[in-house]
Amino acid sequence: MQKGVSIRLSGAGVPETAAALRGRLIELGRCVECVDAQMAARLGGGKAAGYTCNLLTRNGVIVIVAAPGVDVEGESIECEVAVHDTPDFAAEKILDALAEQGFIAIETGAYSAEEEEQIRQRLADLGYIE
Amino acid sequence: MERRRVDRVLVIGLDCATPQFVFGPERFDLPNLHELMRRGCWGRLESCHPPITVPAWSVMTAGKDPGTLGFYGFRNRRDYSYDPMVTANATAVRDERVWDILSRNGKKVVVLGVPQTYPPNPVNGWLVSGFLAPDTRSDYAYPKSLKREIEAAAGEYVIDVKDFRTDDKDGLLERLYALMANRFAIARFLIEQKPWDFFMMVEMGLDRLHHGFWKFCANDHPMFQPGNPYENVIRDFYRSVDREVGGLLDVVGDETAILVVSDHGAKSMRGGICVNQWLVNNGLLTLHDRLDGPKRIEDCHIDWAKTSVWSSGGYYARMFFNVKGREPQGVIPPDEYEAFRDQLAEAIKAMPDHNGEPLRNRVVRPQEVYRAVNGVAPDLIVYFGDLAWRAVGPVGFENIYTFENDTGPDDANHDCYGIFIMDDRVERGGREVQNLHLMDVAPTILDLLGVEIPEDMQGKVITGI
Repeated sequence: MQKGVSIRLSGAGVPETAAALRGRLIELGRCVECVDAQMAARLGGGKAAGYTCNLLTRNGVIVIVAAPGVDVEGESIECEVAVHDTPDFAAEKILDALAEQGFIAIETGAYSAEEEEQIRQRLADLGYIE
Repeated sequence: MERRRVDRVLVIGLDCATPQFVFGPERFDLPNLHELMRRGCWGRLESCHPPITVPAWSVMTAGKDPGTLGFYGFRNRRDYSYDPMVTANATAVRDERVWDILSRNGKKVVVLGVPQTYPPNPVNGWLVSGFLAPDTRSDYAYPKSLKREIEAAAGEYVIDVKDFRTDDKDGLLERLYALMANRFAIARFLIEQKPWDFFMMVEMGLDRLHHGFWKFCANDHPMFQPGNPYENVIRDFYRSVDREVGGLLDVVGDETAILVVSDHGAKSMRGGICVNQWLVNNGLLTLHDRLDGPKRIEDCHIDWAKTSVWSSGGYYARMFFNVKGREPQGVIPPDEYEAFRDQLAEAIKAMPDHNGEPLRNRVVRPQEVYRAVNGVAPDLIVYFGDLAWRAVGPVGFENIYTFENDTGPDDANHDCYGIFIMDDRVERGGREVQNLHLMDVAPTILDLLGVEIPEDMQGKVITGI
C-alpha cells in the first residue's frame, strides 16, 4: 500500500496551492482529500479533524490540510507557501519534498524508445547529426 | 558608468543570428535591432565548444561550460560502452539555469521555445518547451493547462519546421515564416497575459533559413549564382524578424531591459569530410562489414579489437578513443593516451583539402577548454576547415571529400560568434563591447534583476563599459 501523509499548508495562496497540489497528486495516481476550513468544521475541528486525517493517511490517502487549527495526528509535513510563488510552482515544490521523503514517485521524463528514435531522425534531418 | 536595476528583463534569442548580417559592414537594414544597439551596447558573443544549439543555449542560461554541464552535443554517450548515444534533453541539465535561480528567488518567469527544455521542468511561472519535444501530443508546457491556453490564443504550437530536407524551397520558406509568426504570436500572448519579471524566448527560423538557403544568398558560397530567385531570402527574413522584435518592444514598457542574443553564427559550408572513412583509410577504424556504398557508422559492425578511434559527425566531429581499461575492448594503453592524442591531432591538422591545400582544421582537447569534464566527453573535438566543412559520419565512400550532404541540401555551417545586444535603459551611446562569451549572459540577467549570482557561474556581468 502507498504511504499516506498529511500536508499542512500555511502562508500565501493556500487555497489555490491546495487546488494545484490536489490536481497534480491525482495525475500521479494518488488518492487525495482536501481539508479546508469548512471541512474541518464539519469534522469537529481541532483533534477530531486531526483524528480523521490520521484515519485517512493510515490507509494511504494524502490529505491536504488547508485550514488552521487542525491537530494533525500521524505522518505529516509542514509546507509554507512563499508569497511570490505561483500556485503551480508551490505545488511542485511540495511534490519535490514528498518525493524526497518517499511518499510519491515522480517520473524522470526520459524519452521512450520510440520518442528517442523520432528525435534522432529529426536531428539528422536538420543536419545536427549524421 | 551607471548601472541600474530594472523591473523586468526580456531576452529575445535568435538561434544562429550571425554578426555579419546584424553588425558588420554588410549588415541588413534592421531598424529595431539597430535602435537597441544605438541606445545600449552590443558585440560579438563567443560561443562554446562546440558552437551548436545544444549545448550552447544551456551554456548561456546556466553560465557554465559544456564540460561542467556534462554534455557536448545533442546526443552523447551515456557511458563508456559501445551503446548508441542518447539525446540530451532537459533531463540531462542538472545545473540550475537562470529561470530556475530566478524562480527560487521569487521572480516570475516565462520561458518559450528555449532549446533543451523538454520535458518542461516546474518554474515559478510558465514554460513552453523547445524543439526537442516529440510532437504537440506531448506535455510540452508547464503547467499543463498552458498548452490549452496557447492553442486557443495562437493555434497549434509549431515546434519546428517540417520537411526541412527538401528541394521545394518555396514550400520550406513558407513554413519558416509560419514558424516565426507562430513563435512571436505566442510570445506576444504570454507577454501580455502573464505577470513576469523575466521572459526568454528563442526563435529557430534563422538557423533553419541559413542551412536551407545560404548558397542562394551568400556570394562567398561556391555554388552562389547572382540573380537567382532566392538571392534576398535571408535579408528579407531578417527584416521580418526585426519587425516582430519591434512588435514585442511596443508592448513591454520602458522599465524592461532588452537583450537580443544568439548561440552561434553561420558561415558558408564548402563540403563534407568523411571522417570515419578517413579513420578507416588510416587504419584507425576497422569494420567487419563489406561495404558497397555509404552506410551509417552506427549500422556497421566495428571490429573493436582493431579500432583505436571512431567519430560522430554533424557540423563538427567528436572523436572517441578505444582505450584499454576504459572501453570494453579498448586497445590504446592508458599510458600512451596523450601521445596518441597528440599524434592524431597533428595528423588531423595536416589534412589537405581536395585540391591539396591546407584545410586548416581546428582540434580541441576538452581538458584544455572546460573547467571540468563531466559525463562522457569526446577525446577530441574537430572543426574541419575551421567549420567551413561539415563532418560526415557514414563510411563506404571512395573519396573523403564530399560536396553532397547525404541527408539532403545544407549550405551553411555554424560559426563561433553569435550576437549580443543589450538595452538596459541606460543610455550607452551604442558602445561596442569586446570579449563577450555565452557564459556572461546569465550573470548579467541576474545582476539586472538584483539577484545574487551563484559563485560557480563562470561568466562575468556585462556592464557595457
